[in-house]
Amino acid sequence: MSLVIDHPYLIPSERLKKRAFIFSVLAIIVIGLSIILDLNPLLFFTDGHHLINLLGEMVPPNVDILWEKKSIFSSILETLAMAFLGTCFGGGIALGIAFLAATNTSPHPVFRFIFRGLMSIERVIPKLVIILVFVIAVGLGPFAGMLTLTIGTIGMFGKLFADAIEEVDPEPVEATYATGASKLQVIKYCIIPQVLPSFTANLFYAFDVNLRSAIGLGIFGGGGIGFEIHMAMKMLRYKDALALILFTIILISIFEKFSDYLRAQILNEQTLK
Amino acid sequence: MSMLVCNVSLGALSKGIVDGIAFLGEMFPPDFSALPDMIYPAVETIMISFLATFFGALLSFFFALAGASNISPMWLKSISRFFMATERALPEIIIILLLVAALGLGPFPGVIALAIGCIGMLGRLFSDAIEEVNAKTIESVQSAGATKIQVIQYVIIPEILPSLISNTLFRFEVNTRLSVLLGAVGAGGIGYEIFYSFQLLEYERATTAILVVLLLVFMSERVSDYFRKKILSNTKLK
Repeated sequence: MSLVIDHPYLIPSERLKKRAFIFSVLAIIVIGLSIILDLNPLLFFTDGHHLINLLGEMVPPNVDILWEKKSIFSSILETLAMAFLGTCFGGGIALGIAFLAATNTSPHPVFRFIFRGLMSIERVIPKLVIILVFVIAVGLGPFAGMLTLTIGTIGMFGKLFADAIEEVDPEPVEATYATGASKLQVIKYCIIPQVLPSFTANLFYAFDVNLRSAIGLGIFGGGGIGFEIHMAMKMLRYKDALALILFTIILISIFEKFSDYLRAQILNEQTLK
Repeated sequence: MSMLVCNVSLGALSKGIVDGIAFLGEMFPPDFSALPDMIYPAVETIMISFLATFFGALLSFFFALAGASNISPMWLKSISRFFMATERALPEIIIILLLVAALGLGPFPGVIALAIGCIGMLGRLFSDAIEEVNAKTIESVQSAGATKIQVIQYVIIPEILPSLISNTLFRFEVNTRLSVLLGAVGAGGIGYEIFYSFQLLEYERATTAILVVLLLVFMSERVSDYFRKKILSNTKLK
């Protein structure tokens, strides 16, 4: 009697084969790319002492810089102001554009097509390009950063607002029309009250996003705290840099919690009504 | 008041718009002869963002396991969640400034910075997904005598795989955008080309680079959208 080993369970199943295939392809791509980029993940561990040295130089953070150097305070204000104004202006303009770009309020489909197109192009252009152009147009400083954030807010939140307007319940709108209201009156009495909570909630979120990008934009000439961090790193004053970075983290966390809280507040009110 | 801080002035804006339009005129026509020089940086950007997404997702998965309340002990969970929250508050650009100072210029710090940058967002999303896994499934596998690693292997991973992959694909999109920005501070790739073309006042060359970036971002959006839809429809059918 011969032993037959062609037991079906010993053959690798289709699923296993498929998985092994996906894994090996992924592994080959990752290893290949790592070789091309001359990137050795192990370097992270062998070169780790550079990182540890750097961190060693950064500790303890020179917290005194926050009140000793006058320009720090004004640069923090600049960053906050940039984010705030960018959100206000961008939000305001986005609101106007959203009414032109939403199908149910747009005066003509052409407007909708143009504004939707412009906004989606804007969303694809990296912020780096926009800030570089604005720095050339209006000079270095927070004004350029603010304009960049304004444009960014329009692109991102104009679309969200327009979508929110399009999702408005059509029945109240029709009912208001039936009473003989003009288009503007319908917008004023029917659409705005419906979309207002989601607009305000989105604006708080926009401020959150803008605050983060305001810090990044500082490095490319927008001024503010990002610029101070960049300068401190360039001048090898790592202790100052760490103090500023820690401060930034705290600032962002506080604003994130605050805007989360306000958003929840607004949206809750909405659901209770 | 914040208007004062930012030196907002309509005068500067109206003059700036004229200057800006004149300047945009200088950017056209794009200098397509520079296109061959752009191909390698563009490919490099994609490679950086791909590798960063891969390593970042891997790292985030471990952080997510440590940060999910249904598999990890309380103390580990708080540490991991705290780390992820701190990381989310830290802009990627600052991480790369730190890494460039420590490791020098080149794609290597770029990949590491973006990979670390993933942890905050992906780790949070993954650990929320893990916490949503049905507790009864975990319990029934555990009652069959499975160890923690077996629970992770046979319950957690299959349950969260679709959301894991679709979030990772979304992050790939974000990373492509970010790697353009990071390139300008020293991570290499197409961002570096844009920044230096601006610095050298070769605006027509910069326009070419910008067009390449638009193409890259658009393509990465399409690709990630395509795969996400495919995965979502697959999981629905099962």
